[in-house]
Amino acid sequence: MSAVFKPDETFRDDFSFRNSPAAIRRFPLPFPADDYMYSVNLEPHLPGPRGSVTEFALDIDEHYVAECRERAIVLAAEPLRFQALPHMMSAQWDCLELIMESLARDYSQHFSLARDGNRWHWINRPLGIDKAFTFGDASTLPQPPLEFITRQVQGDWVVMDQRDGDLWTEAGMVTTPADWSLDFDIGMTFKEWHGPVPLAHEMNVFDRALKYLLNLRLGAPVRRLNWTMTVNPRLDTAPELYPFWGPDRARVDATNAGDLVHLRVELQGLWRLPRSNGIVFSIRTYFISMRELVTVPKWARRVHRVVKNLHPALVDYKGLSRYRDAVVEWLAPYDDGSPTTPGAAPE
Amino acid sequence: MLVTGIKSKPVYAPLRADPGGRYHLLLGSGPGAAPLLQVLAELRDDAPDSLARSRVLFAPGAGADADGSSAAFAAAGVADVRTLADSGALLGEFESLLAASRMGLRLYVAGPESFIGLAMKIALQFNLNTDEIRAQECGSKARRVRCVHCRETTEEVRTNIVQCIGCRRWLLVRDHYSRRLAAYMGVMVDAEAPGQIPAIEEVFP
Amino acid sequence: MSGRSTVHVEVTAIEQITPQIKHFTLRAVDRAPLPAFSGGSHVVVVMRAAHRVHRNPYSLLSAPSDRSAYQIAVRRMEESRGGSEFMHTQLQVGSHLEIAHPVNLFPLDKIARKHVLIAGGIGITPFLAQLEDLHDGVIPYELHYAVRAAEHAAFAERLRAREGGRVRFYFDNAAQAIDFDGLLSGQPLGTHVYVCGPAGMIDRVLATARRWGWPDSHVHWEKFSAPPSGRAFEVFLARAQIGVKVLPDQSLLEAIEAAGVEVPYLCRGGVCGFCQTRVLEVDGELLHHDHYLSDADKLRGKSIMPCVSRANCKSLVLDL
Repeated sequence: MSAVFKPDETFRDDFSFRNSPAAIRRFPLPFPADDYMYSVNLEPHLPGPRGSVTEFALDIDEHYVAECRERAIVLAAEPLRFQALPHMMSAQWDCLELIMESLARDYSQHFSLARDGNRWHWINRPLGIDKAFTFGDASTLPQPPLEFITRQVQGDWVVMDQRDGDLWTEAGMVTTPADWSLDFDIGMTFKEWHGPVPLAHEMNVFDRALKYLLNLRLGAPVRRLNWTMTVNPRLDTAPELYPFWGPDRARVDATNAGDLVHLRVELQGLWRLPRSNGIVFSIRTYFISMRELVTVPKWARRVHRVVKNLHPALVDYKGLSRYRDAVVEWLAPYDDGSPTTPGAAPE
Repeated sequence: MLVTGIKSKPVYAPLRADPGGRYHLLLGSGPGAAPLLQVLAELRDDAPDSLARSRVLFAPGAGADADGSSAAFAAAGVADVRTLADSGALLGEFESLLAASRMGLRLYVAGPESFIGLAMKIALQFNLNTDEIRAQECGSKARRVRCVHCRETTEEVRTNIVQCIGCRRWLLVRDHYSRRLAAYMGVMVDAEAPGQIPAIEEVFP
Repeated sequence: MSGRSTVHVEVTAIEQITPQIKHFTLRAVDRAPLPAFSGGSHVVVVMRAAHRVHRNPYSLLSAPSDRSAYQIAVRRMEESRGGSEFMHTQLQVGSHLEIAHPVNLFPLDKIARKHVLIAGGIGITPFLAQLEDLHDGVIPYELHYAVRAAEHAAFAERLRAREGGRVRFYFDNAAQAIDFDGLLSGQPLGTHVYVCGPAGMIDRVLATARRWGWPDSHVHWEKFSAPPSGRAFEVFLARAQIGVKVLPDQSLLEAIEAAGVEVPYLCRGGVCGFCQTRVLEVDGELLHHDHYLSDADKLRGKSIMPCVSRANCKSLVLDL
């Protein structure tokens, strides 16, 4: 990864976020075919192709510094976007270890981790953080361990405890949600938390996913892709703030859809945690505007077809109702009807 | 967004006794007497010894036949029946009882959903799992609605759309339910089209 | 994440701690930190003996915070199928072994209001690691440890020193028996009970708990038992297109593995369901020894748990 950070990019107000051509090429398009329906699309989280978003366990890209700054802004206004129930402390440390080990191993030009027993020394060069602390002793960090480290990594993080044959959502850092509330959902079981997703329950998607995750093993993480659309590259679309970003949906028309409407893809990773026996769920968000998307002709045709033919329940659930037709109209000229190759890679 | 048909919404079934339990604690509010009496009848048939280890807390509510239900519980053979002035007093007594209770307890709750939700919230603190609790909804379907924007809870909501007592926004009442908060989610209904409020209907009588 | 599913370790210490139990210390061959784990976890040790491969699960008894070494304790079984025999006779300091990543099928419930731990004999092992997690926590706990005689109580000194009055010993030969009724009848709401030891002890605890009205969700157990032996039988693997003979003291899973076909597994004890395999055809009777399938599923005969179950049959075809 070329690692030229764009620290002044914004995900609010003037929305100066833009993808470089390299970022566009590596975008994780979630559509291997011209139509889309839910599935339990979990696959082993093994290293993907060089330069891809799955090359490493955690992906740091050109938006890293800007996203960390955006997270800090959200937390300053709403501290409850980070919560952890008291019994989740060992899980917090497990996550801190996972994230620090991954970043130090895979991006050694930016991050270092030195360990002498429980005395750890963490350096984060892009953010200018240099911290010596005692692993396991929360008093040696300025914030709870999960908060401390997730302020330094892209994407939301949800930590689940496994007990009584179920998974319980009991800690998280959620500043980039696609319209769900940690404060409302904390304490819910896996299926309760996914309650608002239509159709998938009837398809037993969550029963099968839960069974799979209950047996998730150390050293064998899994991943999947999820997607929706957002007006403007606004990371923080929490329901709490819906009165402020909801009105954007009514502003889209067939002329401005190219710049306003963004495909929002979540690369979700799931790891078993060692000391707590919990599971951590990372939700790493990628944006691409329709205008950036159509620079890849195959993707233009593919996305036009997926959005045009999307099941009505999904159109509603993904919040696309008000502007789906405008997006389809904007994309139509880029779709000459020619076939697309299977798989998501640009041709 | 999905409003109804959400799988986090609690689903209730008619109360049945669990003779596998050793102690039985029955909580009832308003019209909840009948389901509790059914449980006691079943215990008398399947595990009569357990009646001596059972207890009823009951809040009949204004205008209800308090004496009638007390008599019915006494006739059912349960060792200890307490009638409380209202559900608030009942829940306070309930919490004290749980603090002194032992493993082997089964909890039965019958009444309006908001009563059940508040009882469950207390039960959660004592690590009671789903295989120790049974609940049957009867009476008012009025909901407690938590505004996701300002975090205030509006009580006794009978309509599909309600004005939040905190921030005054008009909220759509969804089926997404939190056991921790014992409340349903309310989301601003006219964010995308300000002022356009759909017809308000009584749907939770 | 490396994606590697086994860890290469070296035996760095062996100690005979009771007449029948040997204590092994294992370090990574490259001396890198071993994966951290949660108390109650086990590792499956792969033992390559002269004529067959044994894969036995052993609880980690070391402190979860100590990543420099794992410790396990192995009881020599009177009728060993070879695994414990191998561990006791074929290993020296310096021997190399492969172990799988720790898996926890016997975790503590993190929001319990109290933990009651009941150990019998070698069943003490998972609790030793859990006690490390509990010692510095806020949830009250107590351990009841029953053994044949004082000299069979592994780790007794360590336990007394660290846990004091929280641990109580019961010696069979001094006619001291755990009063399960007394123990389970008076626990406060929110208590969880955990039992690990001989099958008979586990059965008694479960029956007593049920009698006192405990709900299943508060009762946890782990059994260390070898897969039952039985008559030899043959099985055909439909996808691999090979026939496999299962020897009397070899489990169906072991026979399939010996033939070079991998079956996913976690506990190898018939409890977790991970190795569930589809039965395509059977001419005879399936012998289900697992605790996972429902009675209805066992009768239906479309699934089998190869780690512990067998068959009396003329033919058996599996979807492997």
